[in-house]
Amino acid sequence: MVNKNEKLVFDVIVVGAGLAGSAAAVTAARGGLNVVMVERGVAPGSKNYFGGALYTHSLLDIYPDFFDRKPPLERPVTETGFWFLSKDGMVRMTVQGGKINNNPIDAYVAQRAKFDAWWAEQARKEGVFLIPKTVVVDFIRENGKVVGVMTDRAQGEIYAPVVIVCEGVNNLLTQKLGLIKHDFKGNATALAVKQLISLPAETINTRLGLRSSDEGLAISVVGDVSMGLPGLGFLYTGKDSLSLGVGVTLDALSAAQIKPYELLQRYLNHPMIAPLIAGGQLMEYGAHLIPEGGWSTMPQLYTDGVMVAGDAASMVNAMHWEGTNMAITAGKAAGETAVEAHKKGDFSANTLSAYRKRLENTFVLKDLHQYRNMSRFLHNHPEFMDVYPNFLNDALGMFFTGFGKPKKQLYSDILKSLTSRRPLLKAVGDMVAFGRTVMGI
Amino acid sequence: MTRRFWVYIEQENGKPHQVSWELLGVARRLADEIKDELEKSGDTALVEGVLVGHHVEHIAREALHYGADTVYYVDDPAVKHYLNKPYTTVLTQLVKKYQPEVMLVGATTLGRDLAGSVATSVGTGLTADTTHLAMGSPKEGEKKLLMATRPAFGGNVIATILCRNHRPQMATVRPRVFSMPERIAEPKGQVVREDIAITPEMINAEIVEFLTDKASTVNIEYADVIVAGGRGLGNPKGFALIKELADELGGVVGASRACVDAHWIGYEHQVGQTGKTVRPKLYIAAGISGAIQHKVGMQESDFILAINRDPNAPIFEIATLGIVGDLYEVIPAMIREIRARKEAKHG
Amino acid sequence: MFHALVSIKQVPDTTNIRIDPETNNLIRQGVPTILNPYDAHAVAAAVEWKRKLGGQVTVITMGPASAVTSLRECIEMGADRAILISDRKFAGADTWATSYVLSEVIKAIHAEQPIDLVFFGKQAIDGDTAQVGPGVAVRLDLPIITYAVKIHEVDLQNRKVVIERKTESRNEVIRASLPAALTCEKEIAEIPYASLPDLVYSLRYEPELWTTEGPISFDPTQLGLRGSPTTVFKTGTPEKHKGGEVIKTAELGVEGAVRTALDKILAVEGMASLLGVSK
Ligand SMILES: Cc1cc2nc3c(=O)[nH]c(=O)nc-3n(C[C@H](O)[C@H](O)[C@H](O)COP(=O)(O)OP(=O)(O)OC[C@H]3O[C@@H](n4cnc5c(N)ncnc54)[C@H](O)[C@@H]3O)c2cc1C
Ligand SMILES: Cc1cc2nc3c(=O)[nH]c(=O)nc-3n(C[C@H](O)[C@H](O)[C@H](O)COP(=O)(O)OP(=O)(O)OC[C@H]3O[C@@H](n4cnc5c(N)ncnc54)[C@H](O)[C@@H]3O)c2cc1C
Ligand SMILES: Nc1ncnc2c1ncn2[C@@H]1O[C@H](COP(=O)(O)O)[C@@H](O)[C@H]1O
Repeated sequence: MVNKNEKLVFDVIVVGAGLAGSAAAVTAARGGLNVVMVERGVAPGSKNYFGGALYTHSLLDIYPDFFDRKPPLERPVTETGFWFLSKDGMVRMTVQGGKINNNPIDAYVAQRAKFDAWWAEQARKEGVFLIPKTVVVDFIRENGKVVGVMTDRAQGEIYAPVVIVCEGVNNLLTQKLGLIKHDFKGNATALAVKQLISLPAETINTRLGLRSSDEGLAISVVGDVSMGLPGLGFLYTGKDSLSLGVGVTLDALSAAQIKPYELLQRYLNHPMIAPLIAGGQLMEYGAHLIPEGGWSTMPQLYTDGVMVAGDAASMVNAMHWEGTNMAITAGKAAGETAVEAHKKGDFSANTLSAYRKRLENTFVLKDLHQYRNMSRFLHNHPEFMDVYPNFLNDALGMFFTGFGKPKKQLYSDILKSLTSRRPLLKAVGDMVAFGRTVMGI
Repeated sequence: MTRRFWVYIEQENGKPHQVSWELLGVARRLADEIKDELEKSGDTALVEGVLVGHHVEHIAREALHYGADTVYYVDDPAVKHYLNKPYTTVLTQLVKKYQPEVMLVGATTLGRDLAGSVATSVGTGLTADTTHLAMGSPKEGEKKLLMATRPAFGGNVIATILCRNHRPQMATVRPRVFSMPERIAEPKGQVVREDIAITPEMINAEIVEFLTDKASTVNIEYADVIVAGGRGLGNPKGFALIKELADELGGVVGASRACVDAHWIGYEHQVGQTGKTVRPKLYIAAGISGAIQHKVGMQESDFILAINRDPNAPIFEIATLGIVGDLYEVIPAMIREIRARKEAKHG
Repeated sequence: MFHALVSIKQVPDTTNIRIDPETNNLIRQGVPTILNPYDAHAVAAAVEWKRKLGGQVTVITMGPASAVTSLRECIEMGADRAILISDRKFAGADTWATSYVLSEVIKAIHAEQPIDLVFFGKQAIDGDTAQVGPGVAVRLDLPIITYAVKIHEVDLQNRKVVIERKTESRNEVIRASLPAALTCEKEIAEIPYASLPDLVYSLRYEPELWTTEGPISFDPTQLGLRGSPTTVFKTGTPEKHKGGEVIKTAELGVEGAVRTALDKILAVEGMASLLGVSK
């Protein structure tokens, strides 16, 4: 039994038991370190939510026997792609079978409240000490160096020579360190609102054309869902629930004076969406920020005695709904660097710079760099949320409903439905610009 | 053999609790439900009350007007006010003496305190907070038992509970779940004073002071008109508007738990599973979504008017009449209209 | 030295209960469990008085192995000792069988170290029965004060306690001799926010486990389903009431809707005179 007045000293402090945090903590524990992880929620995951899907590659990287551990996953993603919404119609562009039909499947839908608790439990099994219900409010510094953290509780100090900050998108601690000068900017931060709607599994299967509950959807929804604002909608299938939401940048929301909830309600009332959720029961309503700025809003990733990983470090590729895998990979890299620092007995920024070097060799920094202009691009090209989805709906709609019209006329009508919205040259320019942005050139 | 259906007649300060009369009505119905068995066996059924207090004979007599065949009462200065141990001991002795088949107690604060203790000391089972009672055979041909139905898991499920091998079959029943029986002008029953000595060993606590809690003087349970506000009010000030309408209609203010939890209004106004059960003639629910836990507290109201801006709010599923609209427009208009009609009447 | 015992229960967080819309079954999966809120306040009150008088707080619960999290929460609030009473043979107990087990355990603890006050929550939010407290008190022949809102005084020397309770119409201040039992409303004490060392201590704390094998023995005929006088005969979903007409201000205008509504209400017999409004 412990003494109630013992000073709390560990080798590593991890702040936040999200995806990044538990990955960092278990990695450090495996390196023989005495690790404490502090989480403000009643349990890990109780304050977290996302779309969304987890990516197998990153999960297996931490636990090679991941699937044998019976993780609380919802459904594998066996069909994925885009739905383009017009006012009253939709074009679906999704892929299934073929390259998606991997073993293991590339992505799984999960619910964070369940998954994060389990994810942290795995780390606990390897010796990580979890302190829940406690908020880290500041750092303890000696001679200008971080030597621990302050929590919101009485006698709330915890000491360790290295702290890994995995605090998520509300990165107050990262700001306190001066690693970033401000909140994530309004044009680079999206507010996502979502509802989790419960429906019997069979109903979901029938409505979405799934053969069994071992099949599932991960869909990005573009067009009418964001009312032309820079943003995306989504739809994910749980076992007996659907997760639907929409994320739009804060700036655009306030400029358009739209309440996020109204946006979501509009999406759920869309004639193509409403029948999918009819009769369902609302289980959860939530709002969460996404640091979409990626590279452009990334703080400095380390300083003396501290590393920052995951959303706190803006590690999100919004275009691909990738954030969890980056968080996990970065958490692991930070954990490894902490082990190395303990071996050297040196926790200076210089030693911790190895963290960034590790990440440079992974998809994390490579992708973020490649997509560095994406959030600005979308901000400047609202056509992608409005003109093109509508055009796509009109074009396909007309193509398949000739009504005895000569085809020449048909094609000219189709072309007109584009050019009446966007001059042809501009449209070509948009596509080229989009290509360049995606390629990062 | 005599099959006795007992009701504990609750009194506080020499005043009977109305739930006791409601329960006499229920007990009479239960006794009627075994008529077929009585005919076969030649047994008789009696509805009887038990009462403890000091100077309470008038209450015993009043109980006859609500259908009791007999009322047993214990009258002693030592049990003037309710205290757990002496009341439990007295009732236990009476139960042992008369061996009732069924015993009903109001699920009031005092009633729940007493019922739990009596059941334990008699050694029988108790179903708390029942909302439906009937005499029925669990299987074809079996002797009828008390089928006590109660909500569980926040009202989402109802469970029917039996007490097969122990007597009496005890249940507590919330006030206002059942309606009042008609008052009988010339009752035939009799009152019987039981001589049970209250000995010092029976007393292990004493009341040293009564504090009148102003808040708890609000009694929405027995109001005929209730205007209730929910989270849709948006802020605590909204209750001023609710009060204004309630005053206009001669009613009282009710609330959903969401408002009570937010400290917009006191707990004594809460209607629902963890608040009060009400059955007024008119219940107006404004800005209340109609969660199951709220509905179980008010769905027996004679007329329910729901005002909600969301046409899909579940409250409309039980409302006699619904108005889809903003309560901040509807209620002021309603107050104006009522005043106009009152003026017209007088003028 | 003051010795308080608190009897607590872990309950499903009923705010999260959902019903499968098609099968009408309760969805139990994923419903989190919590320390019964009234019990949390009971623990807080016990700890508050321990801090005033010096002494010890023991918490007990009868429940599944997962109830250790609730016991740890009590340790976090400042309780000193926690006992989990857990055995398959206890399963299915109604309040009668529950109060039997709890009273046997309390007797045993009392024999080790005399107890002054036994605390219960007002009721457990899963069953809302409010019977276990009175049931245990009767079995132990303790004075019981239900719906307690304030402990005015604990006088260890003269073996007296003064407690304020709520009834339907007023509050009463009751004096009883020690040992005594009480069931607590939330007002009895505020939940404290533990210091970090207390929290860490609780996270590492391992409650004692008591089973039918020991350290004390129980009468097997009194346990679990077998020892319960009441049985659940059947379960179902509450019958649905039917809604009536719905009018929309968007269609009739606010005034129009209000007028129509009042006409309909006043058309009901007796309503006009009840409300004092003419048709
Ligand atoms: C609507 C939506 C959909 C998404 N969809 C996907 C998707 O499909 N696929 C995908 O890969 N990514 C998706 N993401 C992104 C993904 O959720 C995040 O990138 C990922 O969760 C980041 O993990 P993290 O560990 O950095 O932060 P988080 O998961 O946010 O964890 C941070 C943790 O730190 C705790 N914490 C914060 N501050 C403190 C403090 N001071 N003290 C103690 N604890 C603290 C928090 O409670 C939390 O548990 C989506 C995001 C949103 C909002
Ligand atoms: C074990 C348990 C016991 C409970 N016991 C009770 C209980 O006893 N009593 C109780 O009430 N609840 C109880 N609850 C809580 C219950 O589940 C609900 O959370 C609560 O009733 C919701 O209150 P509400 O309807 O006021 O709020 P909400 O559900 O938030 O509804 C507000 C409503 O107001 C409408 N609205 C908003 N603005 C306006 C406007 N301007 N004009 C018109 N309409 C508007 C909205 O459309 C919405 O329908 C209990 C829950 C549990 C789990
Ligand atoms: N299984 C149990 N173990 C310990 N205490 C219990 C248990 N069940 C009920 N209690 C206590 O009895 C109180 C009333 O519970 P109930 O009678 O179920 O409403 C609770 O608040 C607890 O203090």
